[in-house]
Amino acid sequence: MLKIFQRLWQVNWAEQWQYRANLLMYLLYWLVSPIIYLAVWTSIAYSKGDVNGFTANDFVTYYMTLLIVDQITSNIVIHSFGYKIQDGTLSGELIRPIHPMLTNALVNNISFKGLTILGLTPIWIILFFLFKPDYGHVTMVGVLMAIPAMLLGFFIGYLLSAAVTSLAFWTTRVYSIHEFYFALILLFSGQFVPLSLMPQIIQNIAQYLPFQLLLYYPIQLILGKLSNAQIVQGYVMGGIWLVVALFLFNWVWRNGVKRFSAVGA
Amino acid sequence: MAQWGEAFFGRGSLSLQTLKLLRSFLKINIQMSLAYRADTIVNILLNLMWLGWELLSLSIIFNNTATLGGWGLGELIALLGVFRLVNTMMIALIWPNTEKFNQSIRDGSMDYNILQPVNTMFLVTFSRITVWRIWDLVLAITLIIVGINMSGDTATASSILTFILLTVSGTIVIYSLWIVLIALTFWFTKFDNNVTILQALMDSGRYPATVYPAWLRIIVTFVIPIAVATTIPLQGLRGDLGLNQVLIFIAIGFISFWVASIVWKAGLKRYSGASS
Repeated sequence: MLKIFQRLWQVNWAEQWQYRANLLMYLLYWLVSPIIYLAVWTSIAYSKGDVNGFTANDFVTYYMTLLIVDQITSNIVIHSFGYKIQDGTLSGELIRPIHPMLTNALVNNISFKGLTILGLTPIWIILFFLFKPDYGHVTMVGVLMAIPAMLLGFFIGYLLSAAVTSLAFWTTRVYSIHEFYFALILLFSGQFVPLSLMPQIIQNIAQYLPFQLLLYYPIQLILGKLSNAQIVQGYVMGGIWLVVALFLFNWVWRNGVKRFSAVGA
Repeated sequence: MAQWGEAFFGRGSLSLQTLKLLRSFLKINIQMSLAYRADTIVNILLNLMWLGWELLSLSIIFNNTATLGGWGLGELIALLGVFRLVNTMMIALIWPNTEKFNQSIRDGSMDYNILQPVNTMFLVTFSRITVWRIWDLVLAITLIIVGINMSGDTATASSILTFILLTVSGTIVIYSLWIVLIALTFWFTKFDNNVTILQALMDSGRYPATVYPAWLRIIVTFVIPIAVATTIPLQGLRGDLGLNQVLIFIAIGFISFWVASIVWKAGLKRYSGASS
């Protein structure tokens, strides 16, 4: 099994490397929103001193950390896999003795991630000097505790996206559903603003949803803003959602593949 | 001026023919979109969802502050309207036509465009229109009117006129930049990412560029001038701009279109077909 993953990694890395120019464009595209939110909220914080206890530096560190966390926990499975169901190229992968979504597509995502993090690093350093975040409160323990949380977040997010992508077995085109899913993430993950500044009702709902595990929870963990009880609660929620997401994906996938009648077959 | 008119409408029978062409483009595109009715409805619903999100995000911001960089809620709603105008142009016109254009450079079907007895620039930039997006224009104009009303007493007849003129010239600046970007494809055939940079910075138009740090403000004003089409018109409406500045921005609109048509013509001369 390890050998299979090794091979898949070589193939996928080489494939992603081919598209490095596209990848830079994607990176640029993805960078703009967090930087704009950062600018908007720091400008408010500067003019008022603080926003509900958030100082300008709190916003700068939040979004600067978000850039890294989002790169680790997000995935592109909808773009890299959706079309395979649509145009039928999935057939070839289905007859292999390995799970298409949990091996090849997974490795594809991770190699994509590796390259984007490579591209992000110099950009992040430039942004660091432009915005000068003060990371004085960050402790090694917080960062170390955030690493498993980010991995957990990635796998939860990946399985949920994979489940959404697998809806293509029924609808063929899945981009509209994905857009809706993307809006949910925007609303409940803490991407726009730290969740504690969102309306109370959204905070209450977000607490039970998996989306905050992708961004808000790991970011707060790194920044050392969570109490011990909150840290435990986050990990418990993460564990529960990982199991739920795994079951959900498996169920959608199994029923979907049964329905799958490859185009042109 | 004469040359400018010529660049777009061609000599002689000019604008009447252009209008006729535009009408038939619209007709074809309506027919194409009718083939995907369910898609169209879903897209409109998604569009409403994003409008809801945009208004929610503004309300979250204004729950925490009374002004953003000195701008009130009404002015930000109007700005959202202007942003949606430009964004509609991006989605309804720039995307589909760029896709078709890139394709035509790759497979050589650009030959047929050049052979047509109409202005090639017009043909290439207007032949695809995502028709249902026109409803987005209605939404955008509603937002602008509501926003101006909310911001209240400051708007006068002359400031509204300034606003309209600046919006038009700003839109022309973005259109011209697009022309330049796709014209570059004549030099670098494999330049499929030609409008990604424009799209990437688009989101910066949602908020007044005056709140951005200087380096970002410079990028969105001078390099990829999204702010010229979004923030600047709103500044005109607020009366932040002197007459000189207004005239300069309107002149920039004309100049950028003029430059774009020169670059386009030079590019066309370079074009040699895909197979030759």
